[in-house]
Amino acid sequence: MVATGRWTIEQVAAVAPSPSSLGAAEAIAVPQRWAGLGCDDLMLWGRCSGSGAEPYETAVDHVDVAWRCTCPSRRLPCKHAIALLVMWVRGMVPEATPPPAVARWARTRAGRADGPAAKPGAGAVAEPDGADRDATDRGSTPQPDTGAVPGTGDEPEPTDRPEPLPPADGDRARDERVARMREGLVELDRWLDDRIRTGLADPSLARYATWDDLAARLVDARAGALANRIRRLAGLVGSDPDWHARVLAELGVLHLLAQAGRRLADLPGPLADSVATATGWQVRQADVLAGVPDTDRWIVAGRSDTREDRIEVRRTWLRGAASGRWAMVLSFAAYRQSLDRSLTVGTAIHADLHRYPGPALRALVGERFGEPEPLVAPPASSIVGACDEIGTAVAAEPWLERHPATVLAAPTRHGGRWVLTDDSGTLPLLASPRALATVLAATGGEPASITVEWTPHGVVPLTVHAADRALDVGPVADPSFVGVA
Amino acid sequence: MIAPSPPLDRYWSDLVTVALLGTDRRDPPEAPPGLLADLVDDTIRESRSQRMLAAVSAGAAARRAGFVAGPATDRLAPPEPDPRPACPAAAAATWRYVVAEWPVLEDEWVLTVIERGWRLPPEVVVGLLLRHRTDATRLARAAVAAGPIARWVTEHVPELAPRTSARVDADAVTTVPLLAVPPELADLLGADAHTFASTLGAAFASGRFGAAHKAVLVNLVARCRPDVLRDAASALGAVDPLSRSAGLALSLADLARTRHRMLEELVR
Repeated sequence: MVATGRWTIEQVAAVAPSPSSLGAAEAIAVPQRWAGLGCDDLMLWGRCSGSGAEPYETAVDHVDVAWRCTCPSRRLPCKHAIALLVMWVRGMVPEATPPPAVARWARTRAGRADGPAAKPGAGAVAEPDGADRDATDRGSTPQPDTGAVPGTGDEPEPTDRPEPLPPADGDRARDERVARMREGLVELDRWLDDRIRTGLADPSLARYATWDDLAARLVDARAGALANRIRRLAGLVGSDPDWHARVLAELGVLHLLAQAGRRLADLPGPLADSVATATGWQVRQADVLAGVPDTDRWIVAGRSDTREDRIEVRRTWLRGAASGRWAMVLSFAAYRQSLDRSLTVGTAIHADLHRYPGPALRALVGERFGEPEPLVAPPASSIVGACDEIGTAVAAEPWLERHPATVLAAPTRHGGRWVLTDDSGTLPLLASPRALATVLAATGGEPASITVEWTPHGVVPLTVHAADRALDVGPVADPSFVGVA
Repeated sequence: MIAPSPPLDRYWSDLVTVALLGTDRRDPPEAPPGLLADLVDDTIRESRSQRMLAAVSAGAAARRAGFVAGPATDRLAPPEPDPRPACPAAAAATWRYVVAEWPVLEDEWVLTVIERGWRLPPEVVVGLLLRHRTDATRLARAAVAAGPIARWVTEHVPELAPRTSARVDADAVTTVPLLAVPPELADLLGADAHTFASTLGAAFASGRFGAAHKAVLVNLVARCRPDVLRDAASALGAVDPLSRSAGLALSLADLARTRHRMLEELVR
């Protein structure tokens, strides 16, 4: 969005996150509440006295439409930015020379805009129409299903990457990276060996540093996916009475990956791709998008948000109406950024999907054809059918941590725990009280079509597909972490 | 999910026991005869810990991939039937908007659901029960609107149980709570559409209202006659954009539109 000239109040209302926030801004849209007010042909700025000891420093780019403010509000733009715009619309903001901090911000933004790939919405700056682009850009981060997240050494590839190296240099860089990762995998295996020798009852396992030091070394070895797996594993220690078995199983999977990762060249193509992804190799988004698209009517079957270290990760599970194949689209949000909301559970989109290499389900959404269709449910299978489907996927990739399925089953209690049941069997249900209550309220204990996410410890309900609505009951990102806008 | 076979389950338990103590103190167990044993035997490992790691990897992979469903079991006894239809999905979406932006409208929304013979949709049942666990009156109202499913769900999910034992006044449950409206605006509560809209419009045009009046104006729009809402929204939306209270007027226009929409959606 690029604005020219002075705005109207309707334009200010259009960028406000809600009508009530415009009302809140109105109360502080008086120059007496502000110091250092000023504007030029690009920016507005000022310091607003708030509830904090220090005034909030607010700036708005009224041409390229962006804002930043030192207030703690999660709603973007905050009421201070809106108030600044309201005062400007009313001619209450005098022309002035921007203070150094604002001028610096303006230069930074101009530099980004002039660069090969401007990336809006980063940090404290957000653009009202930037959420989707932002999410798309973040989509270039590696697959967190395998644990790789930005900030852990597996950052997204920079969009303003340097020119490609000459072939000889490129080969050398790749060889160096292979060597570093190999060293990391050897070190991981040595560490696993120590754990097995000294035993899981060793008190050092309860110290976070035991795990974090290894994770840091794996990050150095560019095996960020494994580093994140290690950090998640640290959280399992002591988490329940059965934690020894759960940790042991995960140590076994790590050993499998450490061994397989050192033999990539000997593995068949798809398996090698899977191991490479699970250990932390990145694939450029551009390379994925250059692949042959998988075109279908994709049913948005379920959504699941999880926190991976300092990044909120959204998995959206899609199922091809014609092919029956599953796919997963990822979205990432750092603190106060927004997750992609363009895929609505219970709808279907006719679109191209571009799949990442290997048998894993991760894909990028390419071209979309038309508007989403409302109220579409994926086909449901029996409990035993779902077990077969999931077992086949896990047998191909034993390091999988999640896999989707849609079952026709009823929630019930068995042996003191919640399960999904049908005539063929049961699956243990892992759900928050809110999600469980919604599943119960939606089904009344009767069989219903439910999309779930398999994990090694049970299935997480994501969606109840009712006749007249799809109830999204999947785990939701912490609202104090991700942005609301 | 249960382990694929009893021998593998026993073997895994043995592996966990050894892993707990460490291979410095205990030898790894022998794998049960079969593919798993062949797999572990095929790996050339020098040390006990390496053999143990190979066995753990193979065992973990086999258990994950080979899990089978547990035995089928009885379903829950269903809740008492409720003949009322669930209110439309659009109304549930409006409830979410009301709760987020205009909670002052929530009581009227729930009472309208009850009066017009709807029952709450599942996602709203749970949301309302959780929201009002400490408010006996609103919780009772939610229970009426939800019907038998509310008690049934609460029995199964104790986290939804009330956190208050306060007595409930039956009249309070069925009545929209009063909101403070100052005497000079009280006449507008019963005014017709033309009077309401023109009075508000003129007051905004003259600069009589400012941010300090927001609370009472919200109360006024939340309790005025429903048939004035459309005209009120138009009048508020037409306030001079350059006036000092244009933002407040636009905000109130949204409140009027939201209330109008919520009442229209619940017509049967």
